[in-house]
Amino acid sequence: MTSETPLPEGPAPDMIPGRTPHRQTAWYRVLAAVSALLILLLIAVTCIDVVGRYALNRPFGGAYELTQMLLAALVFSALPLTSADGGHVEVDLALHLLPRPLQLLLGRLAGAASALVLAYFAWRLVLIGMDQLQEGTRSASLALPMAPLAFLGAASCVVSALAMILRQEAP
Amino acid sequence: QELIMSSWLPPKHPIVINAFEPWAEEVEKVTEGRVTVRIMGKPLGSPPAHFDMARDGIADVTYGLHSFTEDDRFTRARLGQFSFLGDDAIANSTAYWSIYGGQLDAAAEHEGTHLLGLFMHGPGLLHNNVRKIETTADMQGLKLRVPGGYVGDLVTALGATPLFMSSTEVYEKLSRGVIDGVTFTYEAMTAFNLVDDIKYSMTVPGGIYNTTWFFVVNEDKWESLSEADRAAIDAISGEAFAERVGKAWNDADTTAQGEIGDKVDFYQAPDAVVSALKAAAGKLEQAWSDGLGDGYDGMAALAEFRGMTGIQM
Amino acid sequence: MTISLIALVVLLAMVFIRIPIAFAMAIVGGVGFGLLRGWGPAGAMVGNAVFETGLNYSLSVVPLFIFMGNVLAGSGIAQGLFSAADRVFGRMRGGLAMATVLSCGGFSAVCGSSLATAATMSKVTMPSMRRFGYSDSLATGAIAAGGTLGILIPPSVVLIIFGLLTEADIGKLFLAGIIPGILGIIGYLLAVMVAVRLKPELAPQVGEVHPMSRSDAISVIAVLGLFVFIMAGIYGGFFTPIEAAGMGAAAALLIAFATGGMTRGALWTAFLDSATASAMIFAIIIGAEIFSNFVTFAGLPDSLSDIVEQLGLSSWAVLLVIVVIYMVLGCFLESLSMILLTVPVFYPLVSDLDFGLQILQDPDAVLIWFGIIVVVVTEISLITPPIGMNVFVLRSVLPDVSLGTIFRGVFVFWVADIVRLLLIIALPVLSLYLAT
Ligand code: NA
Ligand code: NA
Repeated sequence: MTSETPLPEGPAPDMIPGRTPHRQTAWYRVLAAVSALLILLLIAVTCIDVVGRYALNRPFGGAYELTQMLLAALVFSALPLTSADGGHVEVDLALHLLPRPLQLLLGRLAGAASALVLAYFAWRLVLIGMDQLQEGTRSASLALPMAPLAFLGAASCVVSALAMILRQEAP
Repeated sequence: QELIMSSWLPPKHPIVINAFEPWAEEVEKVTEGRVTVRIMGKPLGSPPAHFDMARDGIADVTYGLHSFTEDDRFTRARLGQFSFLGDDAIANSTAYWSIYGGQLDAAAEHEGTHLLGLFMHGPGLLHNNVRKIETTADMQGLKLRVPGGYVGDLVTALGATPLFMSSTEVYEKLSRGVIDGVTFTYEAMTAFNLVDDIKYSMTVPGGIYNTTWFFVVNEDKWESLSEADRAAIDAISGEAFAERVGKAWNDADTTAQGEIGDKVDFYQAPDAVVSALKAAAGKLEQAWSDGLGDGYDGMAALAEFRGMTGIQM
Repeated sequence: MTISLIALVVLLAMVFIRIPIAFAMAIVGGVGFGLLRGWGPAGAMVGNAVFETGLNYSLSVVPLFIFMGNVLAGSGIAQGLFSAADRVFGRMRGGLAMATVLSCGGFSAVCGSSLATAATMSKVTMPSMRRFGYSDSLATGAIAAGGTLGILIPPSVVLIIFGLLTEADIGKLFLAGIIPGILGIIGYLLAVMVAVRLKPELAPQVGEVHPMSRSDAISVIAVLGLFVFIMAGIYGGFFTPIEAAGMGAAAALLIAFATGGMTRGALWTAFLDSATASAMIFAIIIGAEIFSNFVTFAGLPDSLSDIVEQLGLSSWAVLLVIVVIYMVLGCFLESLSMILLTVPVFYPLVSDLDFGLQILQDPDAVLIWFGIIVVVVTEISLITPPIGMNVFVLRSVLPDVSLGTIFRGVFVFWVADIVRLLLIIALPVLSLYLAT
């Protein structure tokens, strides 16, 4: 079953009109590369732990915590990408039947609401980070400080919020 | 007034049924219905968040382990996390409330909340499925799940490898041989379904480890109650609660022991192992005490604790 | 109860004007919590949810199981599966749709997500079905329904999240999903046969099958091998179900490179898609956590279990009521949020029930069985209008097909699902045979 007719290209009609993916911009590519690296590291941590346990009888004591922290970092580094792609789960039921200007307006409204939520997330993460800095919160076995993760999350939410409102509008 | 309590243990956990729920009912009784406690069907955050949740007012009443978070907040709370502290959860909890709540000024480490209770469970054992530990050499190379830093340092000093993971992961890892053993109470052996995967359980006089728990109410909420209600609630909390929850832990341990029967080889640690543990523990206790700063004497507090629970060092 | 219902209506209204579900849940949950409890606590609660969700060790399976599926999708294995399945059914009327169902089931054995399964298989099977003049409704219906198997046939992100919420044994949940998953494949195959018998114009007779190439055979072997590797690793005690995700991802990378079907571009896409899909899922988990804290505080779980208790029903009737509640919620809620919101409410209720069957004496067995029931109703919710996530996936891949067409095509599979659900409820042994 090869050489079939290709599927239609271009943006789906249920995409909010005017949004174009900007997967070529520098910030997008950098964050994508970081996310890819974090996925590889997640895989590596598990493999080193499992293989080390059987082949060398040397389990990797920090595997549990490293997995936790890599996962959190991955979520935060990928969130702006998803936001810029318009990749959050949205529901289109009747909206595409509305006139185009109204669709554009609702699209902007939804983007602004999402950006507000993300900005609020960022603010709360900064507060958490400051708290953890003061209390010296660290992970149990590797004693890694937790505050940087909170600040990374805050930065991620800020970039995501910007991505939500600044998505390019086509002419 | 209604106090919102967030509970993260499974709803049927013995200390939920036999300590927190009865306490909640009694609050209503002693305040003649002016104050009620509503326990949420589902926790309002992750277990480690529970102290901050009470402080920040997400819930009014919470409980949890001091060792949940690794930070500089609950340093003096570690009094109750050492070895050789006591074999009876009531005595442990009462001593802990009296000493940590007294000269070690627990209230200062729980800023933003009012203390309703401080408590500990029954003695911790060292379970494993590889070999009976008869000399310190038998500890070499065992991969043991431990609850936190102190026990980790202790078993490392005897040549074992400590591993950290959440208690719910223990079953998976133990049954798959990822770990060889775990430090746990009697109750946890049945609660986490470990009986079939444990062969030897070594008891140490006073327990190889213990965990310390807080039970707190948001300070502003507390201040908003009338003085009479506060006094009435205080009367069934604190030491009275230490006895109640201690009994709940003891009963849970007894039930578990009955259920396990002879499926696991329980034995007392040989003298050589005990003295090696004591030597390693002594250093760690001293280091902790030295780090407490002026005004707090950790070694004296430990001695007093053991005096109250009747453990000879 | 009233407050929760109002909140649900507001939530749906926000979702309908296209605020992403994750953020709509965060807004309603955060504001609702603030109104009931004060803004300071609400802010702290929101902050905790955002910070801690990513630190959840067990959720590491989400990016890794998705990555595993994406790597295999990029290596051309899905195409191989489809061609092989076509060898089985190609000569029958509706054969391509049946091959679609079977290859979806096969891909489900190496992909933990229903959405990823549907998205991957649509790219492979849809062009073929179009070329031979299949109606869009049957073609998309088969993919949307077949894709739902991704969360039932192990590995499964949803089964892991169920295990996480209830402390049920994830390894046993995986085993429990196998027979119901096979039953699902059989049901969908029958659904295709019935559909084309009733309306032959849905699927013209193709009458030719493409020869199976060497790479198709390799694809089938690779999928089987990876499935066996994961299951044997888990049950042989080499790694935990959580670690299986990391090991499976590594194995998938090895397979992709060994078979040589992976271009650099495809690898990059696999990484990028996995990262963005994970962020999307975590945003939903965060939103659901915030929303769920609010409805818990508003007393919804208590009122629901009170209502069910006050009805004074038999155990079986209680279970049916719960299933009906799930079916109704499943129309409106996104699948993952539905599980995160409801399972903590219902599982304590169900695990207390006595069903009077020997096989259900053990509360752990009840929990496993309930987990499978929950996953099957979740599968159904994925294809039930108005909010059916698998249907949305198809629509974004095939923009020229209307939602109405897909939902029409899905109907016959939905009927098969209901039959399967009733079988799984009536015969717990289907779920528990392998798991105990
Ligand atoms: Na699957
Ligand atoms: Na639905």
